[in-house]
Amino acid sequence: MQYPEPIAKLIDSYMHLPGIGRKTAVRLAYFTVNMDKNDIANFAEALTETKDKLRYCSICGNLTDEDPCEICQDPTRNQSEILVVEQPKDIMVMERMKDYHGLYHVLGGVLSPMDGKGPDELNVRSLIKRLQANEAVNEVIIATNATPEGEATAMYLSKLIKPAGIKVTRLAHGLSVGSDIEYADEMTLFKAVQGRTEI
Amino acid sequence: MKISKLKLNHFRNYEHVDINFAPGVNVLLGNNAQGKTNLLESIYVLALTKSHRTNNNSDLIQWKHQNAQLKTLITKDSGQLNLELDLSKKGKRAKVNHIEQAKLSTYVGQLNVILFAPEDLSIVKGSPQVRRRFMDIEFGQMSNQYLYNTVQYQRVLKQRNKYLKLLQIKRASDLVYLDVLSDQLSAYGSEIIYQRLKLLKQLEHWSSAIHSTISQNQEQLTFKYVTALKQTQLHSVDSIYEGLKNAFQSERNREIRMGTTVLGPHRDDLKFQINHNDVQTFGSQGQQRTTALSVKLAEIDLMKAETGEYPVLLLDDVLSELDDNRQTHLLKAIQDKVQTFLTTTSLSGIARDLIHDPKVFQINDGSLRVD
Ligand SMILES: Nc1ncnc2c1ncn2[C@@H]1O[C@H](COP(=O)(O)OP(=O)(O)O)[C@@H](O)[C@H]1O
Ligand SMILES: [Mg+2]
Ligand SMILES: [Zn+2]
Repeated sequence: MQYPEPIAKLIDSYMHLPGIGRKTAVRLAYFTVNMDKNDIANFAEALTETKDKLRYCSICGNLTDEDPCEICQDPTRNQSEILVVEQPKDIMVMERMKDYHGLYHVLGGVLSPMDGKGPDELNVRSLIKRLQANEAVNEVIIATNATPEGEATAMYLSKLIKPAGIKVTRLAHGLSVGSDIEYADEMTLFKAVQGRTEI
Repeated sequence: MKISKLKLNHFRNYEHVDINFAPGVNVLLGNNAQGKTNLLESIYVLALTKSHRTNNNSDLIQWKHQNAQLKTLITKDSGQLNLELDLSKKGKRAKVNHIEQAKLSTYVGQLNVILFAPEDLSIVKGSPQVRRRFMDIEFGQMSNQYLYNTVQYQRVLKQRNKYLKLLQIKRASDLVYLDVLSDQLSAYGSEIIYQRLKLLKQLEHWSSAIHSTISQNQEQLTFKYVTALKQTQLHSVDSIYEGLKNAFQSERNREIRMGTTVLGPHRDDLKFQINHNDVQTFGSQGQQRTTALSVKLAEIDLMKAETGEYPVLLLDDVLSELDDNRQTHLLKAIQDKVQTFLTTTSLSGIARDLIHDPKVFQINDGSLRVD
């Protein structure tokens, strides 16, 4: 027997999520079927809003529902420091640590020709423009992961920025240094990434 | 170190295996295509997490099954250790004493093996690739620093080659990024070359002593590491690093034109010389065999020196390939110290008097029986 179409579609959708295989998708789908009608409506709305209401901040590249984002608009933040991260979610990690009060810049990944990511595919130009337009910045802290690609990206940015007389520092908050990622299977990697965000 | 127990589930043509081995010589006896090499392969895979004869994990899983499990209990001077490897189509998981290891470099090196098969005679005759692979596998077992550097190097090399391709077809133009990749490759590459030189020096020392005995002091075996760098650039990690960096600078146009990385440890080679003549070009078949045997036997001593333990020796159909003199040297070298697994289709071509207390296993269509 086949799954009724709505359930089949739901299973298929869940399987698009990272770390979720067929078995888990089936379990989640049947769980969803039994959810309260209100909860379902909220769930569906939350999903649609991710596309309808979220956009990237035109200054820093963060995910936001208003442009510029809350952080870029906040005059009490230290305007002389920019912390460069790979992904918007890295900003949340830093913010939870409550240690840093400067500004951010989201690259949207790391340099990786194998994955089709060169300097033009990352938010590098926008960072340089931002530095040129903003005299107040005197330190750029690079917080890409401690993978070879993260390191190369940090070195690259430092080569571009340093000649302008701006201090460039490196913050290692990534995975264990140079982990052999191709060895870890999907699940282990997923756990490692999760574990990292809690440090 | 010794392999005390081996358990297999759905590995190659073995449904289930649960067996104890002798600390000395274990003979795996059976007709062709019964599973002798498969059993050696299971030990090799437990040591290195990959096979010597396939790059595809799925080949190792018994047909029509989803997973293979390999477990072993090894006994070292420092105590006993459980190693476990789970292979599936998706990947592999490795455990040391039941704890999952996220990094290759914390697993590999626990169990050290040396495999000697007829095709290993090609370390002298074969392509440079064969000798680089030989260095990477053996040195990677002895030093997890070496293993770590080779894994990182390969990863950066792939990125750099891809980027050079993009520069070649003018889909990229940023040379600052190329410089960064060159620096990174030089950093990992210099560590690799430095460690190779250091370990080769020791391997050469042991090999030439063994070679000299086998050849009754007639022949002196020496090694030569072949690299794009000059001899004067090889004395320290820093000088190698500078050497590689400068070489990448001066080869820049050629590399972009060719769309690939033209120098570095992945292009280096190792030459064997007897009385200063290149064995590959000028050596007789006998000299080539003696060289291969000397190098393999020297690895046993080198591993002992580097790790404090003798490795486990896996001899796949190789004993019957050697004449009496070479067989005698091999068997004397391992006697009473190196646990050995040897496969053969018959006991007749083997100098049995030199093997103390062998434990003989009959292998028949994926089943193992103590003789
Ligand atoms: N993944 C696999 N599942 C089941 N059988 C396999 C698998 N891979 C190889 N075999 C079988 O193993 C046998 C070869 O075993 P091998 O150990 O190489 O033989 P030998 O005893 O000659 O060394 C062949 O019969 C082959 O069909
Ligand atoms: Mg065989
Ligand atoms: Zn912003």
